[in-house]
Amino acid sequence: MQTLIELSDVTKRYDDDGHPAVEHVSFAVAPGEAVAIMGPSGSGKSTLLNLIAGLDRPTSGTVTVAGERVDKLSETGGARFRRQQVGMIFQFFNLLDDLTVADNVMLPAQLAGESRGKALGRAGELLAALHISQHADAYPARLSGGERQRVAIARALVNRPALLLADEPTGALDSATGSEIGELLLDLNTSGQSLVMVTHNPDLASRYAGRVILLVDGRISSDVTTGPQVRR
Amino acid sequence: MRSGPVRRALRGGLGRRRVQTAVIGLVLLVTTGAAVLALAVVADSNAPFDAAFAAQRGADITATINPARASPARLAATRRLPQIVAAAGPFAEVTTSLQLTIATAGPAGAARLLIPSVTLVGRAAPDGPVDDIALQSGHWPTGPGQIVLSGNQAGSSLPVQPSPGMPVTAVGAAGKPELTVVGIASSVTGTADGWVTPAEITRLTTPQEPASTQMLYRFRAAGDDAAVRADAAAVAGALPPGAVTAIQSYLPVRLQETLGIAPIAPFVAAFGIIGLAMSVLIVANVVSGSVVSGYRRIGVLKSIGFTPGQVSAAYAGQALIPAAAGCTAGVLAGNLLSGALLGRAASVYQVGTLGVPSWVNLSVPAAMLVVVGIAALVPAIRAGRLSAIRAIAAGRAPRSGGGYGAHRLLGRLPVVRPVTIGLAASFARPARTAVTLVATLLGAAAVTFAVGLGASLTRVESGLSLAGTEQVFVSLPTAPGSGVSGVRMGAGGAQSTRVALLPKGVRPAAPAAAEHAVAAALRAQPGTAHFVAETDQQVTVAGLAQQIPVTAFRGDAGWTGYQMISGRWYTGPGQVVVPTHFLTVTGKSLGNPVSFTFGGRQITARIVGEVFDGDNSGLAMITAWQTLASADPRLAQTSQYDVELRSGTSAPAYVQALSTALGPAYGVSLNGAGRGLPLVLGLIDALTLLLGAVAGLGVLNTVVLQTRERVHDLGVFKAIGMTPRQTVVMIVCWVAGIGLVAGLIAVPLGIALQRYLVPVMASAAGTALPASILDVYGGWQLGGLALAGMAIAVAGSLAPAVWAASARTETAMRAE
Repeated sequence: MQTLIELSDVTKRYDDDGHPAVEHVSFAVAPGEAVAIMGPSGSGKSTLLNLIAGLDRPTSGTVTVAGERVDKLSETGGARFRRQQVGMIFQFFNLLDDLTVADNVMLPAQLAGESRGKALGRAGELLAALHISQHADAYPARLSGGERQRVAIARALVNRPALLLADEPTGALDSATGSEIGELLLDLNTSGQSLVMVTHNPDLASRYAGRVILLVDGRISSDVTTGPQVRR
Repeated sequence: MRSGPVRRALRGGLGRRRVQTAVIGLVLLVTTGAAVLALAVVADSNAPFDAAFAAQRGADITATINPARASPARLAATRRLPQIVAAAGPFAEVTTSLQLTIATAGPAGAARLLIPSVTLVGRAAPDGPVDDIALQSGHWPTGPGQIVLSGNQAGSSLPVQPSPGMPVTAVGAAGKPELTVVGIASSVTGTADGWVTPAEITRLTTPQEPASTQMLYRFRAAGDDAAVRADAAAVAGALPPGAVTAIQSYLPVRLQETLGIAPIAPFVAAFGIIGLAMSVLIVANVVSGSVVSGYRRIGVLKSIGFTPGQVSAAYAGQALIPAAAGCTAGVLAGNLLSGALLGRAASVYQVGTLGVPSWVNLSVPAAMLVVVGIAALVPAIRAGRLSAIRAIAAGRAPRSGGGYGAHRLLGRLPVVRPVTIGLAASFARPARTAVTLVATLLGAAAVTFAVGLGASLTRVESGLSLAGTEQVFVSLPTAPGSGVSGVRMGAGGAQSTRVALLPKGVRPAAPAAAEHAVAAALRAQPGTAHFVAETDQQVTVAGLAQQIPVTAFRGDAGWTGYQMISGRWYTGPGQVVVPTHFLTVTGKSLGNPVSFTFGGRQITARIVGEVFDGDNSGLAMITAWQTLASADPRLAQTSQYDVELRSGTSAPAYVQALSTALGPAYGVSLNGAGRGLPLVLGLIDALTLLLGAVAGLGVLNTVVLQTRERVHDLGVFKAIGMTPRQTVVMIVCWVAGIGLVAGLIAVPLGIALQRYLVPVMASAAGTALPASILDVYGGWQLGGLALAGMAIAVAGSLAPAVWAASARTETAMRAE
């Protein structure tokens, strides 16, 4: 089986003498998998996600994503990597308030050098698929939480990334909306999108992920396959 | 109000906002330094001379009196005139020619320097109730054969400087007595070119040049030309008719000495004012930004018990503490800068070290702190008045996006996205953008103004020195004892006169033969484009207390490069062109007749033009040779030839070749540039750089503020794939658009400032200006200057942009 993500003995320390946020973590994720990373607050979940996304560098160990040694990338290399290989979804959406919904979705494509026309076309497709095309010219502040998260998902998908990383994607949503977003992510995974999400919600993890990695104090406590894994 | 909590809050604020603290400190350092320099120059433009004049009890007028017509008793009676507060003399005075023997590096080892028409006075001691002579080296004459030469001669345009021990021959006196220079001294108003013992004067006279009597006077009122003329008339009236043969006023000397500094005072003041305005804007922007970005902190402070007054004090203090430090450093910097400019003038007059007046050192920082305090207080009071809940809520709430329309519009442009996002971001905070725009505009206007000012001053220097047209001079030696009244050296205003160095054993040719030889050599010399003979004489103009120089050209002199301010160049004899100051002092205008005495005969000519000329501080005339020759052609002998070279001719090579052709009896020299111009241009460049730096600091502050406010957005940009380079481009574009607009507005503003200030500077120097002095901006130049604002914006934003681009993305993402 081909490996999409591989972490090998990864440790991340923020202070020289402090407790490591992540310690001796090793695991692999195959293409098409939906993996949930769980754990209590301060267990290192978000740190792990940042390491996979190339937003941060490990103190030791290696991180390989889609064949790329992410731990060795410069800031420029990391930005290019994220454009091409990774789509990020955040708990608080992180949309840009100055830009319309369409402009928010198009932005990663334009940063990657796509023309406005092509980027707009792609954004239209995604907004339609996520049932929010009616809000294309609206500003994020006017949308509901669920709608904003759909916009964030559309933005994450605009460059057809190999991997979706979601950090508490339903953490800021009510349960009904959270379920909608969860179903959305499941649908994406079903159609072949690899997904790694961080959550502290065991229900979300069990329903929408085929594998759950439990982190406690920066170490993997358990790594359990909970359901059928989608393979590419 | 308890100060402990305020101090702690202040320390915390200063520590957290190091960049803004540094910006305030640096801005105040630069602008205070510029303001101190500006005020010191304005205040001291007259001070070096005035201080020396007071310290040395300078003579308001120096009167030369015929002793045959005024007895000692009558001279003594003039001391009791009600206008007079002090008098010195009578001193014996004689005008003669001196020949100095100086060591040279040439094969002859020594050369003789002829100085015609030197005024020597017999004084037993250098001090007295009027005209205290300042001894710069050596000692006062104590016996026969000793002479002290005027320090003014050392500062004149002579190619050599006399020094103690130098042999001197009084070639104009009977028996050509030998003297030795025993000292160098200076009279603040140049009452004489040299001094000997009273007994020595007798040896220096001839039947043709008998001794006169010199009297020196100080008056109760002598502040302007009219007062001095009235005083002189009172003295002349107290003596028998015809007793007073010459009167020299101190005013032209004062004017000439202040000309070095007074004309630059307006532009230095302009830079100081621009700097002050910029510092107010920038400090207000810094403190406002601190308040806006610190809403949450303000709310927290108030919720734990800070009173509105304490909050206001903490925020005002965040501005005033670095401002005070900057002002203090600025005063020191301003004093250092001023010292270079004023110190040189002070040393000439031996009045010790002239520095910045203490009232400037106190008032400038006080004024800056008051202005800055007001700029800081308004947002600080606003901070104090915020309710705690609202402040916390405002601090926590997502920053409301602004400039939606700009984003939408610019997003449609076929330009890379980081650029359009950056340009649109400046519309999000219109007030901050406006302040940044104005500060950048002022900096860019200063650049435009400085470029024009430098070009104007260069044209002024070129117009006055005529270095562009009269590249080479050929001077003719003046025959000793010829009775030719040459130029009065070193007294009553500097005369730029060139005399030939005669090596030992070389005798000067007779005047006509010399002229013929020079003319022939010039015609034969390749590279000669034009030449004209020039004679420089002294005349007495009706209504003026002292003699003034006249330059008379023998031949076509239209190519010499004199620029006309109004009227026209003379077209024949009986016409003169004069500088602006001549018209001002005499009260005449174009078309008026002017009468003057030359060689004992009266000549009347018509003023046909106002010429741009700095000779004798603008008290001079230019005319055709025939105008003077109508009185006595023997007297109007050629002093020098002015030569224009063909394009492409090497001036040094030409000088060398012509010197070889003419031989050692003739002086061939290049027309050098003005001594003072590099210093002034350097000052302009320094002030422009400082103001540009201040504008850049203002931009830096704006970008830092916005970077802090948008740190989370920057993290998002990076998380979705914006590279560091794209981030830098975006951040630079936050202010580049502002800079471009500022630059476009700044160009006409800077030009207007140049058009206003340069004539003001000229007026301070006592002259009007030809139009060519002001029309200095070229098309391409204007295009480049229009980009000055953008250049300042880019320069000011680069550092914070690079910092923001290199910050770890996850760190930014964690910022909320």
